[in-house]
Amino acid sequence: MIATLAFASLRRHRARTALAVLGVAVSAAMLLDMVMLSSGMRESFRGLLLSQGFQLRLSPKGTLPFDTEATIRAADSLVALLRARPTVEAVSPVLGGQLHFPVAGATVTSTALGVDPAVQGDYELVAGRNPVAPDEMVANDAVFRALGRSIGDTVRAASGYDPQLRTLSGQRVLRIVGRVRFVYLALDQRAAGLPIGTLRAMNGPAATDRASLVMVRLRPGADVEREREGLLAQLRTVTVISTSEALRQVDERLSYFRQLAVILGAVSLVVGFLLVTTLVTVSVNERIGEISVMRAIGVRRWRVVAQILLESSVIMLAASPIGLALGLVTARWLNSILARFPGLPERIDFFLFQPSAAWTALGLLALCGVLAGVYPSWRGASQPIATTLRQEAVG
Amino acid sequence: MKYRLAFLLLSLPLCALAPQGTSRSIARGVTQDSPRSIAIDSRLAADAGLRVGDRVVIASEPGMPGDSVVVAAIVERRADPAEIARGEYRIRLHLDHLQALLGYGDRVDRFAVGTRDARATRDAVARINSAAYGFRAHRSADVAVETSRTFAVVSRFHRAIGTITIVASAIFLLCIMLLKVDERRRDVAALRLIGCSSRTIVGSVVLEAAAVAVLGSLAGIGVGAAASWIVNYHYQAVYRTPLRFSIVTVDIVLLAVTLSLVLGIVAGWLAARRLVRTPPLALLGR
Repeated sequence: MIATLAFASLRRHRARTALAVLGVAVSAAMLLDMVMLSSGMRESFRGLLLSQGFQLRLSPKGTLPFDTEATIRAADSLVALLRARPTVEAVSPVLGGQLHFPVAGATVTSTALGVDPAVQGDYELVAGRNPVAPDEMVANDAVFRALGRSIGDTVRAASGYDPQLRTLSGQRVLRIVGRVRFVYLALDQRAAGLPIGTLRAMNGPAATDRASLVMVRLRPGADVEREREGLLAQLRTVTVISTSEALRQVDERLSYFRQLAVILGAVSLVVGFLLVTTLVTVSVNERIGEISVMRAIGVRRWRVVAQILLESSVIMLAASPIGLALGLVTARWLNSILARFPGLPERIDFFLFQPSAAWTALGLLALCGVLAGVYPSWRGASQPIATTLRQEAVG
Repeated sequence: MKYRLAFLLLSLPLCALAPQGTSRSIARGVTQDSPRSIAIDSRLAADAGLRVGDRVVIASEPGMPGDSVVVAAIVERRADPAEIARGEYRIRLHLDHLQALLGYGDRVDRFAVGTRDARATRDAVARINSAAYGFRAHRSADVAVETSRTFAVVSRFHRAIGTITIVASAIFLLCIMLLKVDERRRDVAALRLIGCSSRTIVGSVVLEAAAVAVLGSLAGIGVGAAASWIVNYHYQAVYRTPLRFSIVTVDIVLLAVTLSLVLGIVAGWLAARRLVRTPPLALLGR
């Protein structure tokens, strides 16, 4: 009977109920988007960091990887020291720089990553093979497009300019042996990978035995945080960053979006709550005579309360699937806007859908629906029966 | 991962100069005959407990011998949105001092060139680029456009969020106005029964809806201004910047009031039309 009465009440004012459901659906969509935003970029970044299996990153002291042009000196001995540790499975040194390709009177410039091809974790091979010989390189689609070359072609490359002599410095002829996708770079960013020894040699004495970053993959079962603390205590010239530490740093830098998500999510919930509370309160006020009659003929107070709570919950729950669908559409739209951030890695999503996000949003909406019915149900159930009936009868 | 090759030498992050990156990395009390002077930002001064006149040692890399310098000035950071999320410290040195400290030689990362007017700027850019090798000249306006791409994206994101918020607010307002007018059904029935015309009733209801919308808008402006103040207070403390994160402008107020008024009037008119089309006795429940 409770459900029948609740649905009858909602059907009585269809336009009003439809508007309320629509309003709550928009609030639910916003809530889902904000739940996705608050956790999405973090999880997306975590997935990116762990995608190549490296749990620790060593960068010059006080810096994040590739955040400045600072490099680690005596990198080879550092790599040897790391490889000697029993918990370490693989060590991948990376040197950052630039390559300039003279093409038809102009110069195409690209990011260059000097890596150890056997253990590198910066790119995924799409076609061809890894560079093995010192005069080989791989490149991404943006470089192939800019150069107009194919796998197997050779290309002249330089690491810098000599303004005094007006020539390119550190020149080499490199053979392109593979097409790759760089994991941590933006999609439209030109980038090439080559053996770290080659890039060091091209950059001259200043780059000898240098690395911008050293990535470490631990053996299964190794305690990442304990390893990090051990390395921090042992190595004074580098900052050791674990995935959780990197996530903390990213959280700090992107805290604006997280806090925005919390604020807007809370506002969405409050708007939905107020809408349903107002609607159900007005509905109860209109039916106060009916409710008093029900009480007078013996319907228990808790049944009245349950009926009104059911009304508010039904509005919330009916709006939820619409809201969740709307939320996924708007999340895609908002993500496409934020994906245009300059330099953002292709794989980073600000709005990452996870079932937990949908369940969180649904749970909050259901709770909100119940809470929204508390005041009107209390008001409806606590009216004095005789007085209310007399007032209703007199009009 | 972005390579920042165009950074001005003087704005190199402190972590490259005082490699520990914290107050612990700055040794005090090292004397030198004529120490050079540096300027540090107020955030570093606060965290490291440094004051004007203090002596510190700065080095290009951890463990390397450094120079003893005197803190000559403490500077406030500009209200630059590009810097708010970066927690690094900044120090400023004389150019030759930093070149020597880094072993950078006779090199800089960029020059700033002052010109007389727009035509002179165009000429200078063309002449520099025709003679330059290994570098390029750009107009400041072009550099500004390129460096503000991040904020253009954030701005588009805010507009998108604003659109969704406006849709939600519009539905909320429509619903509330519908309820508000619906509550007047007995009054409307009585007015109809004593002979008031439908036009008069619709007019009065619309007027009432407009008044409610305007009053609600005024209250909303107050709430918005308070929220803006809280947002600025909170984020300025979090990011330690004088940047204003939220501003309530005349344009925003006008948009909010106009939108609210239009929605209120439309909602009132729709609800009133529905009421006057219903027989008065039905409105009274008879």
